[in-house]
Amino acid sequence: MSKFRQPSVLPGFGLTFGFTTFFLSALVLLPLAALVLMAASMHWSDFVHVVLSPRAIGSYRLSFGASFLAASINLVFGFIIAWTLVRYEFPGRKLIDALIDMPFALPTAVSGIALTTVFAQNGWIGRYLEPLGIKVAYTWIGVTVALTLIGMPFVVRSVQPALLEVQRDLEDAAETLGAGRFYVFRRIILPTVLPALLTGFTLAFARAVGEYGSVIFIAGNLPMKTEITPLLIVIHLEEFDYKGAAALGFVMLVISFVMLLTINLLQAWGRRRLVHSTR
Amino acid sequence: MSITLDQVTKRYQGVPVVNDVSLDIGDGEFFVLLGPSGSGKSTLLRAIAGLSGVDHGRIALHGRDVTHVSARERGVGLVFQNYALFRHMTVAENIEFALRVRRMKGADRRQRRQELLRLVALEGMDQRLPAQLSGGQQQRVAVARALAHKPEVLLLDEPFGALDAKIREELRRTIRQVQRELGITTVLVTHDQEEAFAMADRIGVMNLGRLLEMGGPNELYTRPATRFVATFLGAANLILGRQTKDGIRFGERPVSAISAVPPHGLREHEVVAVVRPEEIEVAPTREALASGYLARGAVDEIVFTGALERMRIRLDGGADALTLAYSNGDGNPYLEVTRTQHEQRAFEVTKGQSVAIGVRRVHVLPTPLSSFTVCAANEALMIALAQQPMLVELASRMKTRISTRMEPMLGVPGAQCGDATAFSGTTVIASQPDVAHQAEWLLQRGADEVLVLPVNALPPQRVLIHWADEAVRSATLAVSASVLRHVSAEAVYIGILPQLTPTAQRPHGMRALLDARSEAQAVHGLEMRTELRFGDVAPELRRQLGESPGQMLILGVCDVTRLAEPFGSLLESARWPVLLVRRENRENEDSVP
Amino acid sequence: MAATQQSAAVEDSATRPGGASIRSSLTRWFFIGLSLLFLAALLLAPLATVFATALDKGVRAYVRSFADPDTAAALRLTLITALVVVPLNTVFGLAASWAIAKFEFHGKSFFITLIDLPLAVSPVISGLIFVLLFGLHGWFGTWLQDHDISVIFALPGIILATMFVTFPYVARELIPLMQQLGNDEEEAAITLGAGGWMTFFRVTLPKVRWGLVYGVILCNARAMGEFGAVSVVSGHIRGLTNTMPLHIEILYNEYNFVGAFAVASLLTLLAVLTLVVKTLVERTGYRRR
Repeated sequence: MSKFRQPSVLPGFGLTFGFTTFFLSALVLLPLAALVLMAASMHWSDFVHVVLSPRAIGSYRLSFGASFLAASINLVFGFIIAWTLVRYEFPGRKLIDALIDMPFALPTAVSGIALTTVFAQNGWIGRYLEPLGIKVAYTWIGVTVALTLIGMPFVVRSVQPALLEVQRDLEDAAETLGAGRFYVFRRIILPTVLPALLTGFTLAFARAVGEYGSVIFIAGNLPMKTEITPLLIVIHLEEFDYKGAAALGFVMLVISFVMLLTINLLQAWGRRRLVHSTR
Repeated sequence: MSITLDQVTKRYQGVPVVNDVSLDIGDGEFFVLLGPSGSGKSTLLRAIAGLSGVDHGRIALHGRDVTHVSARERGVGLVFQNYALFRHMTVAENIEFALRVRRMKGADRRQRRQELLRLVALEGMDQRLPAQLSGGQQQRVAVARALAHKPEVLLLDEPFGALDAKIREELRRTIRQVQRELGITTVLVTHDQEEAFAMADRIGVMNLGRLLEMGGPNELYTRPATRFVATFLGAANLILGRQTKDGIRFGERPVSAISAVPPHGLREHEVVAVVRPEEIEVAPTREALASGYLARGAVDEIVFTGALERMRIRLDGGADALTLAYSNGDGNPYLEVTRTQHEQRAFEVTKGQSVAIGVRRVHVLPTPLSSFTVCAANEALMIALAQQPMLVELASRMKTRISTRMEPMLGVPGAQCGDATAFSGTTVIASQPDVAHQAEWLLQRGADEVLVLPVNALPPQRVLIHWADEAVRSATLAVSASVLRHVSAEAVYIGILPQLTPTAQRPHGMRALLDARSEAQAVHGLEMRTELRFGDVAPELRRQLGESPGQMLILGVCDVTRLAEPFGSLLESARWPVLLVRRENRENEDSVP
Repeated sequence: MAATQQSAAVEDSATRPGGASIRSSLTRWFFIGLSLLFLAALLLAPLATVFATALDKGVRAYVRSFADPDTAAALRLTLITALVVVPLNTVFGLAASWAIAKFEFHGKSFFITLIDLPLAVSPVISGLIFVLLFGLHGWFGTWLQDHDISVIFALPGIILATMFVTFPYVARELIPLMQQLGNDEEEAAITLGAGGWMTFFRVTLPKVRWGLVYGVILCNARAMGEFGAVSVVSGHIRGLTNTMPLHIEILYNEYNFVGAFAVASLLTLLAVLTLVVKTLVERTGYRRR
């Protein structure tokens, strides 16, 4: 034990460490092992057959394409919202600030049916888009809208503290040195919040790829067209094709891991830059 | 004794942050651990409190060994730098916490709380939350909280660090008052020497994990034993002089100043003298000085600081110039001088003015290592050696100088010294083939210590100490103590008995070992481990040194005619520095008084 | 703290000389307008729809929709699930944050990654892994069937899946908070003679209470609202294994919009309550990053 941890006078390491290990093993490691082993027990060609079937590829295209698009929209609007909240004083700012977290707290099924209703042909917004020839509900656009909603807080909440951080010293210094506004934005603000912005983007993207509840209502769920990968897994499961579901699940799990790694790297990068700039 | 530390050592990742500290603190004593940040003082305090374990050594509180007792059961009161008040509890709840833990009755708790609040002058603040108090008030609550369970020992970890000057002053007074009133043994950790002077009965100065010196504030200030203490406790000019039969000589002339250490010893040798800035007198001419004349110089800088005036006086050059042990200016060295308003009025000086400098009081450090003299037969080697990183680092830590000395005939039997002046300080030569003969050559011609230094040596992590003859024990210990104050290394004395020692004589060897340790501790303030080995001296030392890199050997020798035979390979290996100590037995002349 | 810093910054830039030009005020309103438009379309409109549709046929119809026995059953199931899951995850969160924030040990970052994992994987996968373990063709499927224990398509499965999805929330609130607040107070308590449990209950717990409150509330909101993972393991048996979000789906697919949105309105109120608690907690001065 002495080699494994550094000594401390605080008690309770054994108890809390043991409990945490047990909990994580039983709840996370064991089930994940089941998934990985189930996928690994498949014959290679079966695995490829499931994972690279035209229907699966169609679902990847929608899931990743819409997620990327949604995260990109959030990159822009998330930054603008964060900027507005940090920089400007206007009536209702605090309320808006609190509302940003709504997609975190709101059950996905609720946001799913609500969005579908709003963007349906006769919905509050859908009825104005219909004459323009834009159909949102039951198309890939609807999927993107839903994914934008659930990804939005990630970008805003990542960028906000970074913007607060950059606020005073750097920008004021640049302005006293005679820099113009756009120049300050391009050369001072953007580079400083870039790690936070990219972290927010990746978080939003990762969350969007796996999203299920809010999408299935608005998507229409037509194979090859508006069917997302998580839904395809559910369909496999409903047909009691555990192996097929496990294969697709494994692919998504690997992607999640890659995302998690990317996020960690981005955050480490951001911290390092912050440390350097405060030195 | 209230707190007893016995050879306490604490390492972080192999590096000792508290290095062999032994200490006795008496009942009711106010002891201050003083040192720069990173000196290990806070770690030591946390070890006493039980918040941090020790790797070696023993801690006892009131005679009870608590080395392995948890912080919870040690019953000490600890005050943190950042107060560490329970922020969600009121002042009353904070103070009563320890009493609640001990299940004291409500009424008794209230009474005790009232007592404590009166003690720290915070009556009526019971129901406030820490956030509603000022920093000074919060720290008062922290003191009251730490005293609630009547601990036998109160520990304060930089308690004033986060407070501003005025409040600091006030709180110091309160704490001192409380301490006197309760008569509680107290240890305070600080990096502020003024604070240490103001509060301490006794001060222990720490540096590089070692407890360098202990003593009363006045004693440590006027009679420091080490360069570090001399310069850390207030400002000091360190001047190199020569101890002669008639007194101390600076440059060419004897100074008739009051010396804190009476002249001692038989042979003339180099010493380091401490001259406090306030002990220096300036006058227009030499004749106008009331004290002993030292040198002439020009006023370089005057800073008015209120009660005192601070000056820098650049010394005039010339043959009889003073030699400062350490000068960080370019060109001629300067002296730091402070004068009172009274002195200023008596003799007003302006910048650039030439003045005569006198000295009222000189204190000679009992350290045997005064300065380094690099000695080599050719100039290239001499320059390389003078820039050797370990030597430069050591000299800068010792605040002393490295001078150079060409000896073209170094090591040639029968040849005379190229340089006619006497050897001063420690002579440094490069570790190379035939170095043993060179060392012999130097020792025979009057060098006291010779450092044989490999060109790529690094500051050591372990210093082995050994003497070939009991006659040089005292001198070797004095030199070792001096070296070890300036490196963060562990000290190990290796006693070596011949392989064939009869069993009956072995206890005698052990006794010699323990004697050595207690002399090192008592006389030289050096804490060291001891190891007893059996075998031949040189191979045994070589084996010990070869165990790991980063070691150094301090070797006391008596017979300077036959060094090469036993120790040649040890000196010539070029893998570790060896400091040779040769002294005639001069009646402990180098020991700390 | 964040709020004061922010309003000070806002005030600072509002009074800055040269900052009040027409151009800068135009940019200002442009940005504010754009933000509000975006949020209105994406967030406010759906929120308003929930209540508008729920009350479309009047208050009476709204209230009546809760009298439906299936709806009542879904409500009950959701409450039971939350009652089991939230306390367990709270205990886990406290244990994990104590071990991670107070001690240095090897493999700590692996622990943290594992705790973050449920936030990164798709909810469908969160359900799937339990189906693979306990489903009819899963690892323990045959054994469970022989002993007549049902996990999948039953309450235990719903609880497991919900637990998996929501266990990070408490721990993730507490770990950074405990790290930020340091160990001084705990060490002080120990030198004053307090034991481990006393230190925990009297010192640490009060210290982190607001973070804990928010973590628990958020965990509860996610537990009650989880859809994907529960949908995979529940089997959608009306009146038996339908939680509120699943019941919403069924009602919606049956074109019972009033019923669906009535249930949805309850969950929306829960979400609003969560945000209110969060705002209050942040107002206590504890800063979230």
